[in-house]
Amino acid sequence: MSGTANVNEMALRIGDDPSWAMVRTHFDIKSFGVNAYIADEPGVRVIEEHDELGERAGGHEELYFVANGRATFTVDGDEIDAPAGTFVFVRDPAAKRTAVAEEAGTTIVIAGGKPGEAFSPSPWERNAEGLVHFANEDYDKAAETYEQFLDEQPGDAGFLYNLACAESRLGRKESALKHLRECVETEERFKENAVADPDFDAIRDDPEFLAITGQAGSAGTRS
Amino acid sequence: MTEKAYEVVHLDELDRYPVDDEGLLWRPVRRRLGITAFGTNAYTAEQGTERVVEEHHEEGGHEELYFVASGRATFVLGDEEIDAPAGTFVHAEPGTRRGAVATEPNTTILAIGAKPGVPHEISGWEEIFVAFGHYRNGDEDKAREHLAAYVAEHDDAWQGHYNLACLEALTGNGDRAIGELRRAIELDPQAKEYAANDSDFDRLRDDPEFPA
Repeated sequence: MSGTANVNEMALRIGDDPSWAMVRTHFDIKSFGVNAYIADEPGVRVIEEHDELGERAGGHEELYFVANGRATFTVDGDEIDAPAGTFVFVRDPAAKRTAVAEEAGTTIVIAGGKPGEAFSPSPWERNAEGLVHFANEDYDKAAETYEQFLDEQPGDAGFLYNLACAESRLGRKESALKHLRECVETEERFKENAVADPDFDAIRDDPEFLAITGQAGSAGTRS
Repeated sequence: MTEKAYEVVHLDELDRYPVDDEGLLWRPVRRRLGITAFGTNAYTAEQGTERVVEEHHEEGGHEELYFVASGRATFVLGDEEIDAPAGTFVHAEPGTRRGAVATEPNTTILAIGAKPGVPHEISGWEEIFVAFGHYRNGDEDKAREHLAAYVAEHDDAWQGHYNLACLEALTGNGDRAIGELRRAIELDPQAKEYAANDSDFDRLRDDPEFPA
């Protein structure tokens, strides 16, 4: 559809993460990827460190545009001061990239696509559809969405993780633990996310949660 | 030689090519950074009263996303008129008529576009815009050199010949203009229709050899 929207009005805040404006899904854009992230305060990691190589990444070349504020990018080990108006184009899918906001309200617009191929959304972006429900605190709807995604893509670690989050929020302890276990067995890096994620507060002290996240020996010593 | 993993450029460092006589500046982004997966450019209206997005629809089937990076503009999108301050996204499907006029000084709009379902192909008009940018900046030779190089590389694209014909007509080289226009029409008869309504050819219109 043709249409219009303001970046600040589109932005969803999910937990402690920077606000995320799901621009591509909002307009149902089919030929390139586009999103925006907004940091409320300086020091917020406005672009998570990532490369474009993993199974969940799209192998995209990415263009970052600092629309507002100021950020410090680190790309391929180099630090880049990026005031509003700066474009950072990361051509190499293998290059690690991240950015930290230096000012409140720092806004970064990102466009991406894979050279020589028709665009298809990165697998991780499907998560967006479910994350909307987290932002609205509608955990029933979130759980339902990720169950449906898992029917389509069984065993996807990202979907399992988010399903476990929703179930923990809903007090469904057993299924939350089951799905989190399946998730970290597929992708170990989610252990770290789970330890810091407030979605798991309800089951954080459960011995099984401690075992799944590799903290079994440290029960009771969490500070 | 291996390409660098990344490139950095600030909006203020981008080239400025005049696109019309009203003050609209084209600021090539894709071309500067070597992006290949999608098209992207910025447009700047310095005075704040002039057109900042030409009114058009996308004949090539591109969908486009505009982002108001600074200033403010009034967009037309289909039948709608939209006040768009900095921070506004405007999405236009290929067939939707769109355009924008700046309402504040130093309004800059970023445009991102590509065609759904196919690998991105770099738009030929970028090089044509560069050539006419040189012409409007008073550098006729550079404009001709740039277009001639484009035509040499894309001899079977009517747009190159057509635009070279425009340049030759504007600079008083009637014979060369007619030759290039003939070649453009040979490649695509549509060029004849365009030429019939294109003021660039006004001074050639009465020439018996003029093919449109």
